[in-house]
Amino acid sequence: MKCNRVVATVLSAVMLISMAACGGNGGTASSAANASSGGEKTQATASSAASDTAKKLTIWAWDDTFNVKAANEAKAAYAKINPDVTVSVVSMAQNDIVAKLNTAFESGNMDGMPNIVLIEDYRIQNYLKSYPGVLSDLSDVTKADKFMDYKLKTMTEDGKIYGVPFDSGVACVFYRTDLLQKAGYKPADMENLTWDKFIEIGKAVKAKTGKAMLSVDPSDLGLIRMMMQSAGKWYVDADGKADIAGNPALKEALTIYKKMQTAGITITASGWDAGVAAVNEGKVATAVNGCWYASSIKKATDQSGKWAVASFPKMSNVSGAVNATNCGGASWYVIDKVPGRDTAKDFLSKTFASDTELLDNLCKDISLVSTYKDASSGKNVSLPDAFFSNQAIYKDWIGWTKNIPAVNYGTSTYDIENKMTEVVQSILKGASLDDTLKNAQTEVEGIVSAAG
Amino acid sequence: MSFQTGKGINMHFGGLANYRRLFHDQTVGKALGNTFIYLIIQVPIMLVLALIISVLLNDKSLKGRTFFRVAIFMPCITSLVSYSLIMKSIFSNDGLFNQMLVHLGLSPIMWTTDAFWAKVLIILSITWRWTGYNMIFYLSGMQNIEPSIYEAAEIDGANFMQKLNYMTIPLLKPIILFTTITSTIGTLQLFDEVQNITQGGPANGTITISQYIYNLCFKYTPNFGYASAVAFIVVVLIMLLSMVQMKLGGKENQ
Amino acid sequence: MKKKNIPLSILKYFFLIVLSFLSIFPFFWMIVSATNNAREVNVGKLTFGPHLAENLGNLFHSDLSFGISLGNSAMIAAVTTVLALLLSSVAGYGFEIFHSKARDRVFNILLLSMMMPFCALMIPLYRMFSMAGRAGLRGIGLNTMFSVIAPYICTAFLIFFFRQNTKSFPKDILEAARMDGLNEPGVFIHMYMPVMRPTYAAGAIITFMTSWNNYLWPLVALQEPQKRTVPLILSAMGSSYTPNYGMIMAGIVIATLPTGFLFFVMQKQFVAGIIGSVK
Repeated sequence: MKCNRVVATVLSAVMLISMAACGGNGGTASSAANASSGGEKTQATASSAASDTAKKLTIWAWDDTFNVKAANEAKAAYAKINPDVTVSVVSMAQNDIVAKLNTAFESGNMDGMPNIVLIEDYRIQNYLKSYPGVLSDLSDVTKADKFMDYKLKTMTEDGKIYGVPFDSGVACVFYRTDLLQKAGYKPADMENLTWDKFIEIGKAVKAKTGKAMLSVDPSDLGLIRMMMQSAGKWYVDADGKADIAGNPALKEALTIYKKMQTAGITITASGWDAGVAAVNEGKVATAVNGCWYASSIKKATDQSGKWAVASFPKMSNVSGAVNATNCGGASWYVIDKVPGRDTAKDFLSKTFASDTELLDNLCKDISLVSTYKDASSGKNVSLPDAFFSNQAIYKDWIGWTKNIPAVNYGTSTYDIENKMTEVVQSILKGASLDDTLKNAQTEVEGIVSAAG
Repeated sequence: MSFQTGKGINMHFGGLANYRRLFHDQTVGKALGNTFIYLIIQVPIMLVLALIISVLLNDKSLKGRTFFRVAIFMPCITSLVSYSLIMKSIFSNDGLFNQMLVHLGLSPIMWTTDAFWAKVLIILSITWRWTGYNMIFYLSGMQNIEPSIYEAAEIDGANFMQKLNYMTIPLLKPIILFTTITSTIGTLQLFDEVQNITQGGPANGTITISQYIYNLCFKYTPNFGYASAVAFIVVVLIMLLSMVQMKLGGKENQ
Repeated sequence: MKKKNIPLSILKYFFLIVLSFLSIFPFFWMIVSATNNAREVNVGKLTFGPHLAENLGNLFHSDLSFGISLGNSAMIAAVTTVLALLLSSVAGYGFEIFHSKARDRVFNILLLSMMMPFCALMIPLYRMFSMAGRAGLRGIGLNTMFSVIAPYICTAFLIFFFRQNTKSFPKDILEAARMDGLNEPGVFIHMYMPVMRPTYAAGAIITFMTSWNNYLWPLVALQEPQKRTVPLILSAMGSSYTPNYGMIMAGIVIATLPTGFLFFVMQKQFVAGIIGSVK
């Protein structure tokens, strides 16, 4: 490779400058693209005067044991109401769905997109703000007084409701009654738990049984998120501004997180799979997670009758903290420009937005905790669950759901969380809490302001 | 584009906002740091290993030369995604490698949950895939060296190390320079392996610049403006590094 | 090396045998694992099992449509290879045969573009195809075969490769042919192409392999499930909540077959393709 070095240097300098100067070009090009998408929009509105029906609907969802199964039961229920419409349910990893939505919304090319898609509550604000007009207004499908408030808040923008709320992510402590008993604790000790008590029990469990209390994943801060929401806080405040350095709930959550690690009551599991394995193989005495985690715990059929459920531990040092919070949870949305919008809306309004029988069956089949208020009186809701020591778990969950503090998830939960995983690691390694959070505040402000 | 802010289709001109954010962004620092660790540890190990193997294989009296060459080159036929998944399964926390450690009475290594070992795993994997590839370059270079030069040296009483130091390496210099530059560029663009083995985890412990750019564009909300700013830094870095390497390589040549 | 040092020579063989073992072992592991179920792979079973048919069945019947992706990959790799060889050989030929002042400057820019990291090109490329799609040019927007192939049909590497190899081309016969009244395309097709057949073979192998194994750009450009390529499907399988490694390994074996076949059948051209650029 004989290169004229002088020429190469000059050329590379020219290239660098032209790349940086690409700002001007990019600007015009992107505004042209906006204009053209505006053109498409008017077209779409023009055609929406006529009803937009289709004979075939596609639904995308993740998790075969939960969401996909629910979509299939809804499909069966809808087939009785409207047998002319064929519904196909496609199962995909959540990350894949997100990447596909991003690309489609970004490019405005909806080819191959589904009519109905499941979107996690943490992410929906982002789509509503970044791609206005892409999702259909479902205000006439979702009756505001019929659903739980904390859930509705995530999908409302400018007074319009854009989704049909699905599962509650009400969080709880799943715990092994047998292991806790060995450590000297009874189910009564788990009522109205605080984190101090949780750690105390964890130490006893470790000492008496040698098992860890909890598995944690360094790349997933679900626990911190749950703790924050239990005090009505989030990575951002109600206005969507970064709320890191001055966030008492976050500080306390990190302190507790560190305390648990230094007490040696946790084990590390990287990735979802490893976390479930730790539970199923009996390596941990508890799992603190959303109620939907029950289906994963139940995979270890040999542990039936050894589990029970308790409310989420309270952070005693933070004012306003309660024994209830949320983790995850998703809702159904209709993509506006995919042909068949009205059929899709009809599907949702006759299934997830009103069919109490369907929701009650789902309670039995997939342990669904619905956020549809009328579903709480279903007959399956009060049934005891043999796996969980005959506890009426659904009743408990629905009771706790009512106490979940509503927070604004903002547009960038996962961007911020990615950043926060680094913060947590440096705090665990001994960095000062206040200083680290102060730096993180600046970084998170950068992430959030990019969204504005 | 690197001057625009905003997400999705709501983009607008934001002046130097992206570069200001870049300045405070510790993930960029982390990604650069990781990339440099891969660079300064993996590239030399791999190239030296490839050079040693080539010298051994260039010995015509060696038995089974073809077998060794084919075997060591074999990893190159796998796709980056495929071999990453193979490595991921061998080195998972309960996987084959850890089972062997346990059998030997050692404690298992937390390959994917510990940031240090995760980096080691990435380095091991890349070395596995690319050593044979670089070996091929060296071997073909050595074949172009006249055997008579070596014979003359042997008559003068040069030993193995002397021949390596004073003849083989200087004669291979252009090729060594070439492999260094391509390996450097390859490392700075590292994506497939990290994405498929550790997904950048634990807690961004193995994240690379390419992966961070990808995440900014596609994993969260598309933020092309900021991602362009980060990409711009990479371009500058590659240019600088290549120039430095050519300078160094060139100078010693004269 | 007339006098042999016995211990040193043992050490030498030992070293090479260990390295060869390490190089081949993952292949053995991949093939063994393709015959075991997910649980057995997870605990590191090293003997062949009876689950190959089951794994293949899962692979082809999963929602991820592995079968379709094989077709997509083959199509993309084949079209890319043909177009890239045609364009690059013409360019390489032109760069070497014709003289002009701008030639070296243009060629240096080309060489520089070889150093451009793909992650920096990815964003403008993505925006470009995305805008094309938005502007109504659906056929060349994202999610189309065109968008995956276009960035790879004219690469600096391949042009460089052809130019280097053209250097040893006997230029006198070109003159002779021109004298005989052959026009330039004729010279290229009837004189250049047949002589350069080994170069074409080597270039074809390297281009096919790069395209077949490409990951990042298809990952970005292809979002529609039915259009994805083999590496994308494998990667998606590997990052699911509970990866079924038995099935994944069966998929990897299939994905490795074409490149493995090329390697063993055309080893010489294969190696020539890889080292082509440093002559």
